[in-house]
Amino acid sequence: MSVSAQKIELCKTSDVAEGSAIKVETGDLSLAVFNLNGAFYVMDDTCSHGPGSLSEGPICGDVVECDFHNGAFNIKTGEIVEPPCMIPQKTYKVAVESETVFIEV
Amino acid sequence: MAKITIPAANIEFDCTNDTIMRAATRIGLGFPYECNVGECGNCRFELIEGEVSYLRANPPGVTERDVQRKRYLGCQALPQGDCTIKVSLRDHYKSKFLPKKTTGELIEAFDVTHDIREFRFRLSENAKFIAGQYGLITAPRVEGARAYSMCNTGEDGAEWHFQIRRVPNGAATTSLFDNLKVGDKVGLDGAYGMAYLREDAPRDILCLAGGSGLSPMVAISRAAAKSPALKDRNIHFIYGGRTPRDVCGEQFLKELEGYGTRIHYIGAISMPDDPSSAGWTGKVGFVHDIAEQVFGEKLGGMEVYFAGPPLMSQAVMKTLIKSKVPAAQMHFDQFY
Repeated sequence: MSVSAQKIELCKTSDVAEGSAIKVETGDLSLAVFNLNGAFYVMDDTCSHGPGSLSEGPICGDVVECDFHNGAFNIKTGEIVEPPCMIPQKTYKVAVESETVFIEV
Repeated sequence: MAKITIPAANIEFDCTNDTIMRAATRIGLGFPYECNVGECGNCRFELIEGEVSYLRANPPGVTERDVQRKRYLGCQALPQGDCTIKVSLRDHYKSKFLPKKTTGELIEAFDVTHDIREFRFRLSENAKFIAGQYGLITAPRVEGARAYSMCNTGEDGAEWHFQIRRVPNGAATTSLFDNLKVGDKVGLDGAYGMAYLREDAPRDILCLAGGSGLSPMVAISRAAAKSPALKDRNIHFIYGGRTPRDVCGEQFLKELEGYGTRIHYIGAISMPDDPSSAGWTGKVGFVHDIAEQVFGEKLGGMEVYFAGPPLMSQAVMKTLIKSKVPAAQMHFDQFY
């Protein structure tokens, strides 16, 4: 962790059911927090392609589909799995402490 | 008159003889949209209560999932009474100059190439815009509006000029090219769109165009050339056509102060083996390849505007992503 890294509290682990996602807004960030088999992943909620909200998209394995244009991203890496999305989704480094989900920015 | 309520944002607004997205945009709300003609699907909202019908019958942007989830396209949805909706408003979609409906009288038209013509309209009421934005034109005896980008700069909004490419057998362009005479009137609505000039971006500018993508890129170049904030920036313009008769744009840049010193033009063709390309001495290739060849790693430090056919735009975007141009430095109408 770099000296300047800042931890931002997002939610409790119990807020996100396994295999689902919630949207968390904090400061200027609008984030999708995913729970995949008890592990937590965070990416920007607004799809890189348009105004779709990824926390509302169906999840299949490690992949979330944007329900606006059916583009899909790897939840763990932000990489594009299906077009029309062309810009990878920004993901964040996640830390879980005391049943609370944080990102490090 | 219908009242539209967005409970999550604690907002209510009136919508009279208008679509829900356009009515929202006219009062300064950041209702998401892009194409404005029912195709791209970016203006989706969820209908919680009430009833809507569509301006354009069966808009192509509607999917089966939309129907199942009671989602509608805001740019085409006409409320049939009061409605409660769910949509995430975003500042990105707010208009600096609120769009409005006006009438445009054709005052001049001239050919730019064999299939692109410039149409100049004087508005019944001034409607300002930012260079790079588009307006909706409703041509005489043509059902539905079409989106076209203006090629002039819109400081006073007294006139809107459009460089439009003729679409073979297209109802709207056939009406405009074959029937519209000086003095005739069209319906106008706008301005719309987020692919406008960013005067606060401290970077050199690259405009990439093909087809009628000419129009917004000419507007961006014209506005950038006279922007005090951008006076020390270079403006590069690349236009791609199939054969030499398609290549255009330089004539408009030559009129700008700084042409040849900080404003530069490259024309390129993609079909050098076509008989009509004989004698061509300029660049050969697609605009995205030319941009990569000419600017290479410098692309990441440029503010890039692009407009053209979908295949061109997609190829440009791939190149820009590969060249590590941040998304915030790419500006284009996301019509697909």
